[in-house]
Amino acid sequence: MFLPVFIFACVFNYLPMIGIRYAFTNYNGIKEPVFNGFENFQRMFSMVNFWKAFTNTIVISVVKLLLTTAFAVVVSLFLNEIVNLHFKKVVQTIIYLPHFMSWVVTASIFSLILAPTSHGLVNTFLVNVGILGEDQMIYFLGSTKWWRFAYYLINIWKETGWQTVIFMATLSGINTELYEAASIDGAGRWGKMRYITFPAVANTILTVIILNLAKVMNLFESAFVLQNDAVLDTANVLETYIYYQTFNSGSIPNYGYTTAIGLFKSIVGCVLVLVCNQWSKKVRDGRGIV
Amino acid sequence: MKKKKISVFSVVNGLIFILLALIILVPMWKVLVDSFDLQTAYGMKLWPEKLGLAGYESVFSNPTLSRPLIISFVTTICGTLLALALCTMGAYVLIQWDMPGRTFFANFLLFTMIFNGGMIPTYLVLKALHLTNTLLVVILFPALNVYNLVLMRNFFEGIPASLFESAKLDGCSPMQTFIRIVLPMSKAALASIGLMYAVTYWNDYTHYKLYITDSRWYNFQMKLRGMTMGSDLPQAVGSATENTVKNAAIIVVILPFMIAYPFLQKYFVKGVNVGAVKE
Repeated sequence: MFLPVFIFACVFNYLPMIGIRYAFTNYNGIKEPVFNGFENFQRMFSMVNFWKAFTNTIVISVVKLLLTTAFAVVVSLFLNEIVNLHFKKVVQTIIYLPHFMSWVVTASIFSLILAPTSHGLVNTFLVNVGILGEDQMIYFLGSTKWWRFAYYLINIWKETGWQTVIFMATLSGINTELYEAASIDGAGRWGKMRYITFPAVANTILTVIILNLAKVMNLFESAFVLQNDAVLDTANVLETYIYYQTFNSGSIPNYGYTTAIGLFKSIVGCVLVLVCNQWSKKVRDGRGIV
Repeated sequence: MKKKKISVFSVVNGLIFILLALIILVPMWKVLVDSFDLQTAYGMKLWPEKLGLAGYESVFSNPTLSRPLIISFVTTICGTLLALALCTMGAYVLIQWDMPGRTFFANFLLFTMIFNGGMIPTYLVLKALHLTNTLLVVILFPALNVYNLVLMRNFFEGIPASLFESAKLDGCSPMQTFIRIVLPMSKAALASIGLMYAVTYWNDYTHYKLYITDSRWYNFQMKLRGMTMGSDLPQAVGSATENTVKNAAIIVVILPFMIAYPFLQKYFVKGVNVGAVKE
């Protein structure tokens, strides 16, 4: 029974690893690969755009992770205080919804909502309340100044709700006797939140952050569908950089060079996973993430 | 005095969540409204000014629309079934504690979560296997998901050991045990994890973008991307404007899921908790 799974893993996961050897060659898919040592890596490290993509990846992923987690925790804490169960159910159903929409749909919706024209909801709102002049409309997804801000907001909109699921599970596991005991000791709502609820979710917060930190380097689709040529300075991440270099460069692709970037990315990602795994073992009584 | 304080909090808390729900819903509502609005400037209206169906007529008059929709359905169904088969088989192997080579198999799978060949070597392998520009690649490639496989294993571990023992005593082979006991006992997990796969396949864009260049094999996400980014905008029919058509296209893509979503939501949440309980 393990054979089908084994074959899938071999073909789709292990076979590509053999292709890593191209990182040390000059290869364009037509001629045979020619070994060139570390030339690809030298070229990569001397590229300004590569370093930009690298720092963008780290900054965008980490800020996104911290923001959505922070929002999810706050929302969960307050969601947990809702007494009316029907209302709670409806709210949960609504806030989970955007998670299931594809990034293509999300990007399509927000490129319309944020459009710098009289069609764009946000821009017309800002003009109508007098924050912006008629001719000062902001092209949020097309300006290097605003792109990241818009990207973070869209991510918060899409993922905060779904992230609350895991925190709500922790919250529902808290022993109610603790709250009763606290009430007897004279603790109010805030006191209970501060001294019982929050410490209980603190461990879950750490777990969520560790699990997701390990995936920091994988950022691709969400950035890819929201970016355009005008914002690549702040929006290009390693995976999209590899994509453009290979498929959109306009010349014959240099597979050797882009494989080298991919290898660098995989190694950094691998180190991150191992570090996070050790960290996880330390704070979660020996449980790793893999 | 104290009672009153609590109710004030509840009211404020309730209002905050109504506001939050509105923030989630307004962008979708706006798209829905604008898809019916034939006026040229939408602005801040949250209700169509000039109601009309021309947007939808334009989308559906597009002759190349039904094909991507069918492709989306077919790949989602085939992919989900295949992915569930792989997932349950792999998970079943992982709970055979006395099987020789089990540890090797587990590590063999887990290693793929830590390290991979990267975008370009993977692309070159799939190209060499002549899988690019076929639907096989978008069905087969995402089918093995080790994370879901581990979730499934956690669920299998919850099946009482006495059931396996009695099956063995009754002379069931491991395969029979799998089909007669493990699978029927795991309906909840199959539904949850199956739905997760279905959403992944339905929403897939990355694999199409990377491995399929022939527009005949595009799924609906690729089609929508083409329409809303303007490269493949359908001809506007009647009094529809370009933006009305874009809005209508988005609604056509998300509508099937939106209708099913309220009924499916609880299974999604269950799936997450299957993993969270034991992890």
